[in-house]
Amino acid sequence: MLYRALVLLAGTAGTAQAQSLDDAIFMDKRVLCAGLVYTREQWTDYWEGTLKRDNGNIGTVTTQQAAFMTAYGVTGRLNVIASLPYVSTRASQGVLQGQSGSQDLSVGVKYNALSTPLTSAGTLNVIGVASFSVPTSDYTADFYPMSIGSRSKRATGRALLSFQAHNGIYVNASGAYTRRGNVTLERPAYYTDGQLFLSNEVQMPDVRDMMLTVGYQRRGLVVPVTFTQQRTLGGGDIRRQDMPFVSNRMNFSRLDARVQYTLPRLPGVVLHAGGSRILDGRNVGQSTTAMVGLLLAGKL
Amino acid sequence: MRITTRRFARRVTAASVLAAGALLTSCDKSITDLEPLPPLAAASVDATAGNWQMIVMTSPSQVAVAAPTAVTSDAYKAELAAIKVAQASLTSAQRAKIDYWAGGGVLRWNQVLRGLVAKYNLPPAPRADGSYVFPDANNPFGDPAFPFANPPYAARAYSYIAVAQYEALKAAWHYKYQYNRASPAKVDAGIRALVPVSDLPSYPSEDAVLAGVTVAMLQTLFPAALEEATTRGADQREAALLSGKATSTDLAAGLALGRAVATLVLARMTTDGTGNAIGNATLWAAMADSARARGETPWLSLEAPVRPPMLPLFGNVRTWSMTAAEVVAVRPAAPYPTASAEMKADLAEVRRTTEKLTNEQRAIAQKWNDGAGTYTPPGHWNDIAADHIRDAQFSEVRAARAFALLNMAMHDASVACWEAKFRYFNPRPSQLDPAIRTDIGLPNFPAYPSGHSTFSAAASDVLGYLFPSESANFRAMADEAGMSRLYGGIHYRKDIEEGKAHGDRVAAFTLRFAQSDRAP
Repeated sequence: MLYRALVLLAGTAGTAQAQSLDDAIFMDKRVLCAGLVYTREQWTDYWEGTLKRDNGNIGTVTTQQAAFMTAYGVTGRLNVIASLPYVSTRASQGVLQGQSGSQDLSVGVKYNALSTPLTSAGTLNVIGVASFSVPTSDYTADFYPMSIGSRSKRATGRALLSFQAHNGIYVNASGAYTRRGNVTLERPAYYTDGQLFLSNEVQMPDVRDMMLTVGYQRRGLVVPVTFTQQRTLGGGDIRRQDMPFVSNRMNFSRLDARVQYTLPRLPGVVLHAGGSRILDGRNVGQSTTAMVGLLLAGKL
Repeated sequence: MRITTRRFARRVTAASVLAAGALLTSCDKSITDLEPLPPLAAASVDATAGNWQMIVMTSPSQVAVAAPTAVTSDAYKAELAAIKVAQASLTSAQRAKIDYWAGGGVLRWNQVLRGLVAKYNLPPAPRADGSYVFPDANNPFGDPAFPFANPPYAARAYSYIAVAQYEALKAAWHYKYQYNRASPAKVDAGIRALVPVSDLPSYPSEDAVLAGVTVAMLQTLFPAALEEATTRGADQREAALLSGKATSTDLAAGLALGRAVATLVLARMTTDGTGNAIGNATLWAAMADSARARGETPWLSLEAPVRPPMLPLFGNVRTWSMTAAEVVAVRPAAPYPTASAEMKADLAEVRRTTEKLTNEQRAIAQKWNDGAGTYTPPGHWNDIAADHIRDAQFSEVRAARAFALLNMAMHDASVACWEAKFRYFNPRPSQLDPAIRTDIGLPNFPAYPSGHSTFSAAASDVLGYLFPSESANFRAMADEAGMSRLYGGIHYRKDIEEGKAHGDRVAAFTLRFAQSDRAP
C-alpha cells in the first residue's frame, strides 16, 4: 500500500528536490516529498572541555540514525517539513551499554518572505524557518556519551539569505537561535558547571548557530558545501576524567559536503549522499559522518 | 481554492510564529541550586544535650570555655550597641547571608559537604604512558586533584564532619546552660530578631562553633576548598551577629571551641589507617593470588588502561562503633564460587536483565547510580536524611546527632564492606561474561558484597530509628537502591542480598550506641 502510494507520487512528480530546515530549497505547491536518510557518525577523539583526548573505556563511539523525513509544499513559498529519527549508539570498547530508540520529532515551517532579482546575475531569497522538536520516547538523557539525545523540547528560529545565480552557483548564509526546555533526570542531584544542584531539573542553555553554504545547482544536481559553527550559550565543561553531561557547553565547527541527485528518468526519485567532519569543538566528539538518503516526491 | 490555500498558509505561519514566540519568551528556566530550607525554628531547644554521650571527647568540658563578661558590663553593652548599628544599615548581601544561614547551620554545611564530595569524586585520569598518579594531599590543586572523594573516602568524610559537629555542639550546649547568657535579641529590646530566636543561651554561639569545627575539618579533608569554606564560615558568623542571635564574644568563644574540638577529632581521623588504604602492587597481586589459591577467578579491573583497585585496604580503617574483630565477625559468608552453577545462574540473570532492561528499571538504575562525579551513595542518603531533619525542625544539636548516627553507620558499613570485598576479590558480571553491558559506570573494585546495598541497608536502619513512622519507606528505598545495581548490570543478586544483610548487622552497632546515648 505504502509502496504503491510512493510509486504513484514518483510517477506524477515535476521537478523534485529534497529539502531540510536549513536550506533554501522549496517544494512546489502540493508536492509531497518523503523518504529515509541513514546517517553514520563516528568519533574516537573528543574534547573534555577544551582538552582533546581519547578514552580506552569507550574506544570509538558510533551513532547510527535512520530518519524518516517528509516535506510538503503548501505553496511554492511555504513548506512544512517534518522528520523523526531512530537512533542507535554503541561504544567499541569498555562495558557501557549502547542506547537506541525513537528520538525527537521535529516539525518546521519554512517561508520564503522575499524573492527578488539582484543585479542581472541572480535572485535573492529571504527565508524564515520556525521549527519545534519534542522527544517521542522515554530514552535517557543522563547517559552521555551513549544517550541518543537530550530529551529537551526545542524551538528554533532561523533567518536565511540565499543568493542563487543564473549560472547555478548559490550562496546561503543563515543564523539560528534555539531555545531549549529544561530536562528532568531520574536522580535528585547533579554536579555541573562548578556546583552541585540539589534538583532533578537541569537548565538547558540555549544554542545559536551560523551556517555558510556555497553550492552548485544544475538540472537534477545540487552540490552544497556548508560550514557550520554552533555555540551553546552556557553550560559547564566536562570535568577532568568525568562523563559528559546533558547541559555541557557543546560547541563545534563542522564542514559538510553533500550531493543530491534527481534521477533524470525518474524525476520523483532523489538520491542523497554526503559527509561531514568536526574541525574543532568543545565537549563534543570529533566526529566524521557519512549519510545516504532516498526520497520520493510527487504532486498530490 | 487559491484563497483557501493562502489563508491556510497565513494561519500556519501565524501559528508557528506565535508558538515559537511563546516558547522563546515564556517560562523562566533557571534552577535554584539548593534545596529550600525554611528558617529553622527548632521544635525543642534540647536543653539536656550537654549531657548526651560523647563519642571522641572524654567529656563535654574537655575543652575549657571561660566565663563570659556579665550582661551588665560596659563591654557587653558595647557589643549590643554594635549589633544595633549593624542592623540599622543592612546591605542586601548581608540579608542574603542571614536568609541562607537561617535554614540551619548543620543542614547548610551538609549541603556544602555534598557539593564538595561531588566536586572531588573523580578518578585520576591516566597519563600518556597508561599509568595513574594517586592524588597528593600536599598538591591538592594538581592533576589529579586531592582528594578523589570516592565512596569510602566520602563515607569517612561525612562521618568525621558530622561527629565533629556533634561533639562541638554538645560541648557548646554544656557551656550554654552553665553560663546562661541569653541571646542579644532577648537581652535588649532594641535588637531585632531577624531569624527565629529561641530561649537557647547564646554563649558560646552555636553558629560560630559550627563554623569553627567544620572549616577546620574541611581544611584536612578538602584542602583545596579551604578558601571557600573559610568564606562560608565567616558568613555564618556574620549572619549570627546581624540577625540578633549572638554578640562578638558569643562568636569568639564559639569559634575557639569549634576549632579546639576539631583538633581532637582530627587526631583520631588522621591516625585511622586511611593513609595506608591504597596499598601497593605487591599487596594487590597477593589478593588476586589468594583468590586463585581458593580456586576462584580473581577480580580484574576492566578499565583501560587497567586501574589499581579503589582503596583495597580500606577494610582496615578504624570504625566508629565496632572493633576490628567485630568487623570480621559480621563479614558475609563467601560468595558463590565463580565456577559454580549458582554463580552461572546469577550471571545469567544479570545478562537477561540488562538485555531486556525496561525503561522503569533503567530509571531506577540511574536514580541510584551515585557514581563518579556525584555525592556518592552515602551522600544520597544524607540528601534523603536532610529532608526529614528539616521537616522535623530538629535543633542544631539534634540535627548533628542525626547526621552523626547516620554517617557513623555508613562509615562502618563502608569499612566492613571493603573488608569483605577485598577478602573475596570477586569479579564483576562483565568480567565473567563480556557480553554484559552496563547502563551505569562500572565501579573499579570487586563485586561481592554490593557497597550500595550495604550503605543503604545501614542508612535505612538508622533513619528508621530516627523517624520510626517512615521506617518502611526507608527500607523500600534501600531495597530499590540494592536492585538498581542488578538493573545497572554491575552486581549479581547475591551481592545485593548479602550486602543488605551485612549493612543491617553493621548498623546494629550504631543503633546500640544511639539507644543509650541519653538523647531523649
